[in-house]
Order: sequence, then C-alpha cells, then structure tokens
Amino acid sequence: MSETEKKLREEAKALLEQGRVDYIVGYEPGSLKFTTTPLITKDKDDVDRLVISPFMTNNLSVFLTELEGKVGIVARGCDSRSIVSLIQDKQLTRDNVFIIGVPCAGVIDMGKIERLTGKDRDEIDNIAWEGDKAVATIGGNKKEFAAKEVIMDDCLGCDTPIPQEYDILLEAAGPLACDKELSRRRIKELEEMPPEKRWEFWKNEFGRCIRCYACRQVCPACFCKRCFVEETEPPWLSPLPRWQDNLIFQMTRIIHVAGRCTDCGACELACPVRIPLRSLSKKMEEIVEELFHYKAGADKAAPPLMASYEAEEAEDFIR
Amino acid sequence: MSQKKEWEPKLLGFLCRWCSYAGADLAGTSRKKYPANIRIIKIPCSGRIDPLLIIRALRLGYDGVLVSGCHPGDCHYQTGNYRARRRMAITKKFLEYLGVAPERIQASWVSAAEGGKFAEVVTEVTKDLKKAGPNRLFEDEQDGTKAAK
Repeated sequence: MSETEKKLREEAKALLEQGRVDYIVGYEPGSLKFTTTPLITKDKDDVDRLVISPFMTNNLSVFLTELEGKVGIVARGCDSRSIVSLIQDKQLTRDNVFIIGVPCAGVIDMGKIERLTGKDRDEIDNIAWEGDKAVATIGGNKKEFAAKEVIMDDCLGCDTPIPQEYDILLEAAGPLACDKELSRRRIKELEEMPPEKRWEFWKNEFGRCIRCYACRQVCPACFCKRCFVEETEPPWLSPLPRWQDNLIFQMTRIIHVAGRCTDCGACELACPVRIPLRSLSKKMEEIVEELFHYKAGADKAAPPLMASYEAEEAEDFIR
Repeated sequence: MSQKKEWEPKLLGFLCRWCSYAGADLAGTSRKKYPANIRIIKIPCSGRIDPLLIIRALRLGYDGVLVSGCHPGDCHYQTGNYRARRRMAITKKFLEYLGVAPERIQASWVSAAEGGKFAEVVTEVTKDLKKAGPNRLFEDEQDGTKAAK
C-alpha cells in the first residue's frame, strides 16, 4: 500500500466518521488483474478497500448526478474537470461534493504493456509506478518502461493531470509524461486521409458496434434523463445495430457533449468492441478550443459552452 | 425514346419563420428565380436546430442541408441565432473530420427583406452541391441499404 493510498483511506474514513459526507466514491480492485471497479459506500469499514492504481478507468463523477446527499469523491484531473462541468450545467452544487484530488500519471494501456513485454496479461504478476518508470514484474524479473511508452495515447496530451478543483489534494504519485504529437497520432492519421477514406474508416469501426450504450452510461457528460436514442416518436434511430445508426448515435452523442467532454476516455475504455472513441472526443475538444477558446470544466463560474455566445465569433462559414 | 435525366441535388432548407422563411416568400412574390432543388421546412428559430436534424437529413438521402436564420442581433428571441451559430460551427467541423463534404452543411443569415439574397444563397448552395456530388454516405452495397428517399 502506497503512502498516497494510506492517506486516502484515512481521509475517507475521517470524512465518513465526522459526518462531513454521506457517501465515499472511489476505486477498489476489480475482479480481474489490472482492473479497478467503482466503490460507492456509506460504511467507514469499506474504505480500507480503496486503492489508487494506474488502472482507474472509470470517471467516477458519473455517479454524482444519481447520489443524494453530500459525496466525497476521488478525482483525477479529468474527473475534476467533469465535476466542474456538472456544476456549470447546474446538475450539482459545489457544496454537495467533497473532492479528494489525486494526481494522475496517466492510465496504463495494457495493450501496450502486452506488446512491449510479449506476454499475455495473465502472465504478468504486477505493474506499478516506481518513480517515473512503470515496472512490470514477470516471474520475478522486473522490466522498466518509460511512462511515455505505456500510458494511453490520449493521456499523453493531458494538460491537467493534477486536479484544478479540489478540497484536499493527495501528494503527487507519479511522473507526468507529455507528448502532444503522439497523443494525437490517430487523429493526424485520419486527417491526412481523403474524406472518403475517413468515412470508410468510421463505417468499418461502427460496423462492430453492438449499441450496448456503455459509452453513454459511463459518461458524466451524458446526464440527460431521456436520451434521443430511446425516443420513439419520432424514432430518430432504428434500434437495430446497423453501422449507419450506430454511427449516427455516436456522432450525435459527441456533438451533444461538446464543451462538457473532458476526454477522460471512460467511453473508449468501456467499449466492448474497442472502437477508438477518443479519436472523436479528442477531436471535438480540439474544435471547441480552436473555435471558442473554451476548455471543458476549466472554470466553474463560466456559463456552459453551448448555452452562451459571443457577439462576434466563428462566422466565416455562414453566407 | 428514353433520355437519362441529369442528376439534381436535393437540398433541405430549415428556415426561421421570422426572417428567412419570409425572405423566401419575398423571393417568390418578387419573381426572383432560384433553383427548385430546395425543400423548405419552417422552423420557429434557427436555435431550434439540433445537429441530429442535420444528420438525420443526410441519413434520409438529402445531398445537403441549409439552415437559415436572422442576422446577428436580429433574433426574434434575442439569442437563438447565436446559439445556432455555435452549434452549426462545431457540427460542420466535426462532420468534416468524419468525412462528410463540408458543402453538405450550409448556413446563412437571410432577413425577411432579403428576397434577392435568398435566391442567391440557394443558387450558390445548389452549385456547391453539384460539385460535391450525390450523397452516398449512408448507402451500403453489402446489406443492400440504399439511403432512404
């Protein structure tokens, strides 16, 4: 157990004991190796299960709109921005949430680890940060990797690994690798293709989609009580998982969460058929930044992007 | 004797009832000529447009979509067109990234007094769409799905 983890458990226990929060929301080890699962509890004995790991794949702020009372929540940079964004959208008041900030070194991509070590994840005993290196233990042997080699591409472009909004901040746990170019590798590849090829690419990707809506369910920005995909009058989408409707669902979803999406990557990590959704959400983040100089969840006093305007902006395409 | 008809683009126009719709009316009453490629839907305000409506039109096989509202500052509801502008801007950029030709998504400001401008806009947009060609985005030869007409 790391120092940060110990501190987290102490803080969480104190919060519950003193009645300063009704719930603690954090991560506990998942049922499989190298996974975590959300822990939501009112019981102070449960907090001993809390962990901080390089595999925190969920954005916990998704639970905030469902829990009643005051919630103490473990949040990384992107999560804290999601919380701020929920406050901007008036889905939440700042007083109702106690943010336990944890600095993030990026989510480790198991695919990359498997490629680098040539081992299946079942054969790997442990993966942990040691200083600024990720260390994989395989049968007693240790292998070191630079952070840049193993964390998810999109995490390499992260500007806010340390939460900007918090009530307490636990110490820095790990290094911060940054490589903007690498982080938008997939987007660049796509941008260099001719438009028809790009469409073909997405057509193929969404041919796999089974429309389980996991991406929507794990997304804190998707807080609508009723989603357009479930409308029946008119039926915007056929419920059959055909690529056309799958793609329409996702492109509309990404447009609907513009200015709220913090590119936390929860959707891509939840996708059972591994559609590269972050290549969509990240691009949308870039568009929003380029056109409106707006960053989702950066300022809790700012009005939401799509509910505000400037008198003069982004006009060049209008006749 | 069969003569193959030249392909004509189909354009769906969402026109604000306070300005562009009246502008289209004026174009008609003042006998301005513009291509008959546009099908018009009256909307209460350009701010009514959800990007989903645009995507849906493309899905239904329209070759292009035109959203037309009041000039900045002239919105009947004060801010509807400003909101529409933000939405249209990101929609256009994002769909372009996915591989949709930018010509297919069009926007204009046309006031109720601008019948001439309306005719001009429709003419130019139609020209653009002819350049972009027929919309085959959602067609699928494998499963035999044609874009619904």
